[in-house]
Amino acid sequence: MEKLKKLFLLFKTTFLISITANSGYAIISVIRNDFVKKYKWFTEEEMTDYIALAQSTPGPVAVNISMITGYQSEGILGALATVFGVALPPLLVMIIVTYFYNVIIGNKYVEIFMRGMQFGVCAMLLDVIIGLFVNVTKKSAAYSVIIMILSFLYIRLLDYSIFYLVITLIITAVVKSLIIKRRSVKQ
Amino acid sequence: MSLLDILFAFMKIGVLAFGGAYAAIPIVEKEVVFVNGWMTYQEFGNLLTLDELTPGPILINSATFVGMKLKGIPGAICATIGCILPAMIISLILVLIYRKYKKLSIMESIMATLKCMSIALIASTFLRIFIDALFGGGSVSIGNIDLIALPLMIISYLIMRKKKTNPILIMLGCGLINLLVHLII
Repeated sequence: MEKLKKLFLLFKTTFLISITANSGYAIISVIRNDFVKKYKWFTEEEMTDYIALAQSTPGPVAVNISMITGYQSEGILGALATVFGVALPPLLVMIIVTYFYNVIIGNKYVEIFMRGMQFGVCAMLLDVIIGLFVNVTKKSAAYSVIIMILSFLYIRLLDYSIFYLVITLIITAVVKSLIIKRRSVKQ
Repeated sequence: MSLLDILFAFMKIGVLAFGGAYAAIPIVEKEVVFVNGWMTYQEFGNLLTLDELTPGPILINSATFVGMKLKGIPGAICATIGCILPAMIISLILVLIYRKYKKLSIMESIMATLKCMSIALIASTFLRIFIDALFGGGSVSIGNIDLIALPLMIISYLIMRKKKTNPILIMLGCGLINLLVHLII
């Protein structure tokens, strides 16, 4: 019973955010609000790990984050609950929208309402970015900021896939950790 | 073209689409417009407008729209499953690796570095949405600035910081206020 309730909560949370927010990253804000602060299923520290994992995986980021948090909370069933939650609303909404295409596309009020929601999404993303930034720069701040700036420049200026960035960063991290190990052995 | 073709085309997109929605759009465009010729440029442009207007991850929206156009509801379902299946499998493998090795110092170092990339990716999306919202979707010029955008963003941010209000409510509130303001003025 307890398990069913948890599965339903996982489904409900991801469903509600997916049916309202336009950006996949908005889901981070809700996951932090519900799973970390309200239910305390995992810590903020763990959440940042999950986000990093989700972004190192191809596919819709919202699906990846939901899937990972669902799996970590309640195993395979939890993962299925969150993935259904996140994938169902766009599927249903788009099916309806394609039927009423002309009514919705030309509608000024729908557009103004959606545009207003964008402001909220901006605030949510800013909150997420600041939260993550504080968390990441707690340890080795200089290194983190340099990696952040270089990654940002790569994303904005170069037209290559993020895949190469992920690989490069993993190699950088391994080299860094080996150097630190060697240094501590010498001392 | 059969349902399986749709499934496989979107599985390919699902594997290739790294780094969030905006990185995914050119990949969808290539697969749908050029490789398979399922849509014209005009139709793809309409799809982008719909993506902006409808909730949910952009990749799933696009998949549903294309699938719907080609084969109706079964097509939409196949396209959606196609684009999330590879993501699910790969995330699952990554989570299992992470769980097994998360105590290792090399793994800690990798996660710390990837977290920095994750901030950069979100910041990049934020910048795009922020500019779009601030200038009302038009070109970047002083005349195009949406006067209500910045105040609403700041107020939403402050409410989010100070109180544990559900982010969904804040978003819907922003939509409603924007609608009211435009109706009154």
